[in-house]
Amino acid sequence: MLKKQLILKNPLGFLGYETDDIDQQGNFGAVTSRAGVGKTAFLVQIAISSLLKDKRVLHIGIQDPVDKVNLWYREMFSNLTQDHDAKQSRQLWESLLTRRFIMTFETESFDFTKLMARIDELIAQQIFTPQVLILDGLSIDTAMPSELNRLKKYARQNHFIVWFSIRSHRRHTDDPVGMLRQWGGNDPNLFNMIIQLLPDKDKIQVKRLSLDREINDRPPLFLDPSTMMIKETLES
Amino acid sequence: MKELISMNILMQKVRNIGISAHIDSGKTTLTERILYFTKKIHRIHEVKGKDGVGATMDSMELEKERGITIASAATYCQWKNHEINIIDTPGHVDFTIEVERALRVLDGAILVLCSVGGVQSQSITVDQQMKRYQVPCLAFINKCDRSGADPFRVIRQLREKLNHNAVAVQIPIGLEADLEGIIDLISMKAVYFDGEFGDSIRTEEIPAAFLDQALMKREELVDAASVFSDELTEAVIEEKEISEKLLIEAIRKGTIERKLTPVVMGSAYKNKGIQLVLDAVNQFLPSPMEVDNRALDLDKNEEPIRLSGKKEDPLVALAFKLEDGQFGQLTYIRLYQGELKKGDACVNVRNGKKLKIGRIVRMHADQMEDVEKIEAGYIGALFGVDCVSGDTFTAAGLNLSMTSMHIPEPVISLSIKPKDNASETNMAKALNRFTKEDPTFQTFVSKETGETIISGMGELHLEVYVERMRREYKAEIITGEPSVAYRETITRSTPFDYVHKKQTGGSGQYGRIAGFMEPLAEGDFVFENKVTGGSIPTQYIPACEKGFTACLSKGPWMHYPVTGIKIVINDGASHSVDSSEMAFQAAARGAFNQAYFKAQPVLQEPIMKVVVETPAEFQGNVMGSLNQRRGMIIGSHDVGNTTEIEAQVPLSEMFGYSTTLRSMTQGKALFTMEFLTYRQVPQSVLEAIEKKNEKKNRTGT
Repeated sequence: MLKKQLILKNPLGFLGYETDDIDQQGNFGAVTSRAGVGKTAFLVQIAISSLLKDKRVLHIGIQDPVDKVNLWYREMFSNLTQDHDAKQSRQLWESLLTRRFIMTFETESFDFTKLMARIDELIAQQIFTPQVLILDGLSIDTAMPSELNRLKKYARQNHFIVWFSIRSHRRHTDDPVGMLRQWGGNDPNLFNMIIQLLPDKDKIQVKRLSLDREINDRPPLFLDPSTMMIKETLES
Repeated sequence: MKELISMNILMQKVRNIGISAHIDSGKTTLTERILYFTKKIHRIHEVKGKDGVGATMDSMELEKERGITIASAATYCQWKNHEINIIDTPGHVDFTIEVERALRVLDGAILVLCSVGGVQSQSITVDQQMKRYQVPCLAFINKCDRSGADPFRVIRQLREKLNHNAVAVQIPIGLEADLEGIIDLISMKAVYFDGEFGDSIRTEEIPAAFLDQALMKREELVDAASVFSDELTEAVIEEKEISEKLLIEAIRKGTIERKLTPVVMGSAYKNKGIQLVLDAVNQFLPSPMEVDNRALDLDKNEEPIRLSGKKEDPLVALAFKLEDGQFGQLTYIRLYQGELKKGDACVNVRNGKKLKIGRIVRMHADQMEDVEKIEAGYIGALFGVDCVSGDTFTAAGLNLSMTSMHIPEPVISLSIKPKDNASETNMAKALNRFTKEDPTFQTFVSKETGETIISGMGELHLEVYVERMRREYKAEIITGEPSVAYRETITRSTPFDYVHKKQTGGSGQYGRIAGFMEPLAEGDFVFENKVTGGSIPTQYIPACEKGFTACLSKGPWMHYPVTGIKIVINDGASHSVDSSEMAFQAAARGAFNQAYFKAQPVLQEPIMKVVVETPAEFQGNVMGSLNQRRGMIIGSHDVGNTTEIEAQVPLSEMFGYSTTLRSMTQGKALFTMEFLTYRQVPQSVLEAIEKKNEKKNRTGT
């Protein structure tokens, strides 16, 4: 019951993404914003929502240690369940943990070849087979289009989708689509889902974008900066 | 008055410090060097050294053999007119209680970190303990001569992983095999350590190649320290020259407030930087006068009361460690106020007994020096005092107790049997001593099997005590299979309504109890009386509670202790003649048994947080091994060529893991384990436990 109620709070659902958009193997999603706006919090909400749908989530953190990533999950989950029965929430949390794996790297230790080798090993040893990969903290300056294409192919072969957090520089704020196009080597199909977080006075606006078309079909959504959760009542 | 001032000056030059770290960071090696440079010992003996002597602080034979510190030993030394009391603490998590006790009585600590391994799992545990007792610390980044050394990465980790406002007060001159000396960022001088043991200090100008880095790091240091001194901030703004004294005072203030962690570095093994560590202890860590120590006033509902730290005030002292040596029981104490002289009398607050003080000594590892008295702020040891670890001694008339220490519950048990009669007597003696010394080590005789059971914090913890019984007490012991502290709990709310009636012959018994039991989210047991209108007379309510409590030690289902249960009684009945306390106790037991099975009991097992540090090449195999042991892998963290894997694994699956890990990784990986939580046992495992218990009951073994 609690699980069903929480699934309804899926942030992607609020943004109008359909299950088909999300579940297509090899799909790439991106959450982009300037530093400190809430990319990790938003990605963790996407991850929790996938876990609630019984998907296995592999969270790759670059720079942050495991404990810190775990703390994000705990916080977002407790924000999500604060109005619900504590015992039920605890049981649900423990069941989610069995489907989540955190792998973190120091920035200088990370590369795509190593990442893929690690995932191969997890799958081969039947330790963990991811269905959703969260890649948080990747620098736009280091990942090359060729590597992203290699990862996309790998994700397709291994039947998982990938969500990235992408930090935009100040100069990109007005044109995140252009930035992602450039990053992806102008491949319009590289990112299938793009979400921009934009500070807007005392709120954070959540905008759905696309590499190849204008999307203006939905009223804007906002994050509550104190909890980083989507405000369900729309405000003007 | 004059004497008082000089006393305070003396006290300002006292440091009570601990040396805490992750296993194998080199803290015993560091202590050995400190003792050497302060002239307490005249030769350096290495941990597991070729001379077979072992490090001075590892005085127990077993410690020398295994190369680990098990019991903390206290020692004192002098450095540049300061008196430093040092407690060397163990690195293994199983011996955490020793670390906790040491921190309780210390005023400051050196957190030793490996410049290659950085902030490792136990550094995090030790850091939490330091936070709990508000112990200011400085960090020493050791092993800068090792391949892969990167002290600045460790400083980043101190900031990111431990949230310390860590700032370098030194930088190395070269790293790894090129480590030549240390640049002191306060005096802005290069310091070299010449001679066979680095005894001879040579101070020179900073080499040109390191000057830019030194200037940059000094700026960072001044910046961090200026937060704690207006005078320093002013000097920075006005671009005046910053004196060493001003900078040291600011760093000291930040350190004592636990808002700044000064970082020193070097290599204990190569004798580089140790004298500067001692300087840092004197300069940055607090004297007993600067620490806010509080006791609980037992006459005022445990209201905290600040202790003065003055020698003239009535005595308050804490017995923080007991050792049973060849001359009888040795009690380590820390005086918080007052003084203790030979022949003085004081009171043990726990039992109100008067104690007469006989021999007083100051310890240096396993050697001792007789002294006439100990004063506030100092650590010493007493002979012939009957007490247990954690007792508070005060002057007559004071009813103060030092805050009780956090003592974790044991999670693993082992049955032990003496081989012969002589061993039986010796085993009893040993157990009596060990349980007095270590509150996390417990022993009892099983009512079912008559076996002696020892319980503790981990496999190694128990292993070491069994080994010590053999070596120190000549008690030959046969050990059984280790067993885990399972426990039962209920999962749903269930009502009960039970009548205990026995009215045939003799005096009758009658009691009726109604209410419900329900799972308890936090805590072990809660009893709530909601009986109204006197349906159970008030005088029988305690008997009801007693009856329920009696059921908890052995659950009706699997015979393990029951926890996490709330009992509410809301109705009942009594008989004017046949009701008695005994009848209501029996009724409570009946009510418990009536409802327990309907409340869907489950079995829970201890889950350990296991952290394995392994070369990356073995990470797949290590994860596989944890997975096979029903481990839930929380994550892995890659740093350079090392992977740190964190998992939650049932304790019952961790027996013998050290051997497995060693063979799997060619001895290159190490792991730490600590209790995390209790979690429900899966059905398949439950069936196996049931079968095992059945077999045990059948065969009686």
